[in-house]
Amino acid sequence: MSKLTIGFIINGQKKTIETTTSTRLLDLIRDDLHLTGTKEGCGKGECGACTVIMNGELVASCLILATQSDGAVITTIEGIGDNECLDPVQEAFIETGAVQCGFCTPGMILAAKKMLEENPHPDEEEIKRGISGNLCRCTGYQKIIDAIKLAANRLSSKNGGRSEKDD
Amino acid sequence: MEEFPQGLQNSKDFSGGDSKKCQRTVPCQGYFAPQRIEEALEILSRYGKEIKIIAGGTDLLVQYYDRLYEINNWLDLKNIKELKEVKINKNQMIIGAMVTHTQLESSEDIKTYYPVLSQAAADIGSPQIRNRGTIGGNIVNASPAGDLLSPLMAYDAQFKLQSNQREMIVPAEEFFIGPKKTILQPNQLLTRIILPLPEEKTYGCWIKIGKRKALAIATIILALVVKMAEDNKTVKDVRTCLGSVAPTPIEIKEVRKKMAGKNFNQLDFAELGQIVEDKISPIDDIRGTREYRKDVAKEIMINALEEIDSARRERNY
Repeated sequence: MSKLTIGFIINGQKKTIETTTSTRLLDLIRDDLHLTGTKEGCGKGECGACTVIMNGELVASCLILATQSDGAVITTIEGIGDNECLDPVQEAFIETGAVQCGFCTPGMILAAKKMLEENPHPDEEEIKRGISGNLCRCTGYQKIIDAIKLAANRLSSKNGGRSEKDD
Repeated sequence: MEEFPQGLQNSKDFSGGDSKKCQRTVPCQGYFAPQRIEEALEILSRYGKEIKIIAGGTDLLVQYYDRLYEINNWLDLKNIKELKEVKINKNQMIIGAMVTHTQLESSEDIKTYYPVLSQAAADIGSPQIRNRGTIGGNIVNASPAGDLLSPLMAYDAQFKLQSNQREMIVPAEEFFIGPKKTILQPNQLLTRIILPLPEEKTYGCWIKIGKRKALAIATIILALVVKMAEDNKTVKDVRTCLGSVAPTPIEIKEVRKKMAGKNFNQLDFAELGQIVEDKISPIDDIRGTREYRKDVAKEIMINALEEIDSARRERNY
């Protein structure tokens, strides 16, 4: 195990941080940057609780070495809205009751957001495929799917929706 | 794009150069992310078994989940751009080892020429896994259940292996020698996957049976590719490749003999299904029993033949 310094942009902020060659990106995000919205569920890429967006792609941060994120642009759940101004996907999750225990929610919202960016008018099958890497053990998924449909409608009727916080 | 903060990517010394030249305050060891294949091969020859090659990491980090500390040195291929390309060269498709499943799934060329490979990539894991996982990683990991392996065999894929001494090209069939075992040497890197461009009247079918649609490790996989003669009726050649039914992905060669030269209309699908059932050697495991796999192998072979038959009839030549 070696120590080394890496740099990246996370939620719009440049960071330079010391890490080790056996640290996962997930650990760096939670333990070093204290961004605890990103969760660890299975640690094996199956549950999606650790989902973040890295270089424009939806990824499982438990399957990435911290060193691999050197030079990357990363968005976690903390980077897509704040207390005053939630992201339309977050609002839709609240309104439809798509949140119960909340553990899967950050990953689920990032997966939904990424899918809607690529496909603004998904049908139900496409929604299911878009969140197929995220497990929820509370809601039975229907409300999550409803939330994504609602967010899709709002975003398209707002002609692209509310402008995002820079990230 | 915004300028990156200072990091490894900007440090030339970190891309595999002489570590003595390192100007950084932290040790320049443990993690290498070179930008060229030659640099990667140089690092490999220096470290051999003492370094772990990482591509997408979607298998490796699961395998080393609670013992990442055991790995002292990493060779990350992420910065080698030429390994991320899909391109046609004369009558061959060249796929870089770092091409992700998402890239494979969305490539129009792959969809057109190798639909079975395209569908296999689309069925892997989840968006998160497909965005990171690579074709090269899937091959080198050599799981008997590796989703891309049967399709690659069915399309007569060859693999280019390079060391800083020499390079060699081996057929997929000779590459896999056991569960998670390949002929790849510690100083070698799988760099490219080479597929012959298929002839015009080539049909394919992909069937994966798993416990669920997403994130399923296959219980059984079938990749069937049939080349038809000019008349679109006579079978010219066939590849029947299966996964999760033997220590390595396998081709059932007996099917070739049975089908070649025959009129597709006169084939006995049940008999061909039986051949597949008889020639596989599955085991009992958590995903399914030997008996189940044998039964299902026969049925999916029949289904695949039916699907190819209807695709063939739909095409008017």
